Amino acid sequence: MRADACCQGCAFKGAQPATRYEVASVVARALVDIDASKASKQDLELLKKLVMEFKDELDALGVKVDKIDKRVAVLEDGIGGWKIRGTFRFDAKFSSDTDNGVYYYNENNLKNDFEKERFRLFLTKQISENTYFYAQYRTGADGAGKYNDLNDGRGDLQHMRWSHLFVNTKLPYDIDLRVGRFTVDFEDDYGLYIDNDALFGDFRTDGFRLSKKWNNFKATAVVSRNDGWEFAGKTVGDNEGNMMNYTLDLNYSVERWFLGATGYWFQYDGRSDLSLNTNTYGIYGGFSFTPAVALKGIYYMQDFDEGYGKGTNDDPKAWKAILDIKQDLLKFTSLWIEYSQQDNTFVGYNDRYSIGGGAYDYVGRNMGVAAAGGTSKWWFVKAEQKWNDKWSSFIRFANVDYDTAGLDDATEWGLGVGYQYTPALYFELAYDQVDHGDSWNGLPGGLHNNGGTYGKDHVIRFRTNVNF
Amino acid sequence: MKKISLLLLFALFLSLVVVGVSSADTFDQVLQRWTKSLKHVDEDGGNLEVRATYYSAEFIEALVQKEAKDNLWTQQEADDYKYKFLSTLRLEEMIPIQVEFINNGPTMHMGPFDIMVKLRIGSKTYKPADYDRRLNFKFQGKKEGLIFFPRYDEKTGRDLLKDVKSVRLEFAPAISPLLEGREISFIWDVARDDPNKLYQGTTAARIETDRLLKRLEKLRKDKAEEEAKLAAINDEIATIQARLDELATQ
Repeated sequence: MRADACCQGCAFKGAQPATRYEVASVVARALVDIDASKASKQDLELLKKLVMEFKDELDALGVKVDKIDKRVAVLEDGIGGWKIRGTFRFDAKFSSDTDNGVYYYNENNLKNDFEKERFRLFLTKQISENTYFYAQYRTGADGAGKYNDLNDGRGDLQHMRWSHLFVNTKLPYDIDLRVGRFTVDFEDDYGLYIDNDALFGDFRTDGFRLSKKWNNFKATAVVSRNDGWEFAGKTVGDNEGNMMNYTLDLNYSVERWFLGATGYWFQYDGRSDLSLNTNTYGIYGGFSFTPAVALKGIYYMQDFDEGYGKGTNDDPKAWKAILDIKQDLLKFTSLWIEYSQQDNTFVGYNDRYSIGGGAYDYVGRNMGVAAAGGTSKWWFVKAEQKWNDKWSSFIRFANVDYDTAGLDDATEWGLGVGYQYTPALYFELAYDQVDHGDSWNGLPGGLHNNGGTYGKDHVIRFRTNVNF
Repeated sequence: MKKISLLLLFALFLSLVVVGVSSADTFDQVLQRWTKSLKHVDEDGGNLEVRATYYSAEFIEALVQKEAKDNLWTQQEADDYKYKFLSTLRLEEMIPIQVEFINNGPTMHMGPFDIMVKLRIGSKTYKPADYDRRLNFKFQGKKEGLIFFPRYDEKTGRDLLKDVKSVRLEFAPAISPLLEGREISFIWDVARDDPNKLYQGTTAARIETDRLLKRLEKLRKDKAEEEAKLAAINDEIATIQARLDELATQ
């Protein structure tokens, strides 16, 4: 910095002492050039001290010190400063039920609910050029009405937690390292879902993630544990978090297509007399016919230790294919058409189509009572319209055929209108309904008493999102 | 019924593809070809859309033609615009990429921006040589600006895009907390891009004139410096010679 400023600011006078005004001139020159010279944090700190030291002289030279101080602060802010940001979502839900008196849309199981649906606080710090800290504190989704002893009608928030705590940094050979608690969600990374969730993946876990790129090829490896992946149909206790998790993703991407494979090896390390390992392998790819039209999909194979999977099927399969059309092509709407098949013994997310996660009703609720020998078929279609910077709307449809005798299909459809009042504030009015059918499954006590769901539910939701 | 649905779906898909592919090469299509975008919709409420446009020769030429058509310019006016536009883009030494953020999520802090973005060419990554300083400031809502990456290797002077098939623009996850550690990147196939096509006709002559004037100015400056050095050496020689003469006479 000194070298740059002196060369451009004044004549070099060797050992001859400089006046305060001459030094102030050098500082003023350095302030002009500070962006271009890509100053380090040390330079910025030194410059700030000099600005304070020579404030009077700089004032006399006509340099607006306050503005410059702010300008330096912006750059300094990026490296070294803590940032607290957040997002808050409030949902007012007015639901109705046409038959069985159970309100699946509301966690309080009452007709209406006002819910602090999501609250997230982000705490971040850019420690140095290549090192970044990220933490997310989250809570929400508890209903205002009484539905258990924990919130007792006050709607107090429960389950507050640090959902993400990690540091990103760079190792030699351009290897990215992430350490801490983070999300693994390759389907999201490669644009393989847009609604509530992935077919498989999307779990938070504690451990290490290494990734490296060579041209268009990328390899990512994760070694971790304490993942939140809970295997439905497990044979022993609650194994959530009782596994070492090894994940490897290999991806090759060019402008018009991508191809890759992901392997998840979940190795149980509890009791030595139990074999509860689960491996899941996925092969995915996509091709863009034009910049606005893409066809993509993923195929999964799952492999449970003998006797651990649901039913007798130890190697269930699942796959989905997606046609993704951007609004650029059709001008008035985007279109996402997704078809998937899933062996009913495949362990994945069953609430992947939902207008708000598990706090809402969704097709797929009855996967828990679907026949182990069946293969469910799913359709999901969503069209979104961005009318201008403020207004948007959407229409959606989802259907699942459980391939189970006595169990009806479930169908969801809904629509909504959104208004982006400011970049920080968003309002949305939406309607949604799910029809789980009226089958009683021929079981004593009916489907509902057997853990299944039936009947038709509706909801009108007014949503408020605030980002800060 | 299901077969009919599938057939209808397939027919719809085919018709969309045909519509998309068969249309003429309008500016919109060229824009789509060189503009990549990704909208990240967070499950918790916010959304962030990132758009990036690689300023290829095809894109620049289409943009100039569109402006000329929209404003009913003469050829001379179009050439003037092209000349000014190319001078701003500094294509002869930089790879310009326009970025736009539409942030309807938590406030983004991207300063200093040059550590938030890099261009991967082959196995190497390059930081911006210059960028729009507005990208350093925190914001919600829209923000856009140009980023300039070096076109030539700083040490060897080698053309970084020579024999390269594609480049990848990579944003650090730190640009927004909404990303929860995800990386946003865009890939362009640049093998078919040839910036030299832009330098034809009067525009080329004017740009070459500018280049030569700059070079002349630099050479004159070098000459003045060398002459000053020579004069200083001559002065010193004269001083030493004078002193030697004095000593010889003592």
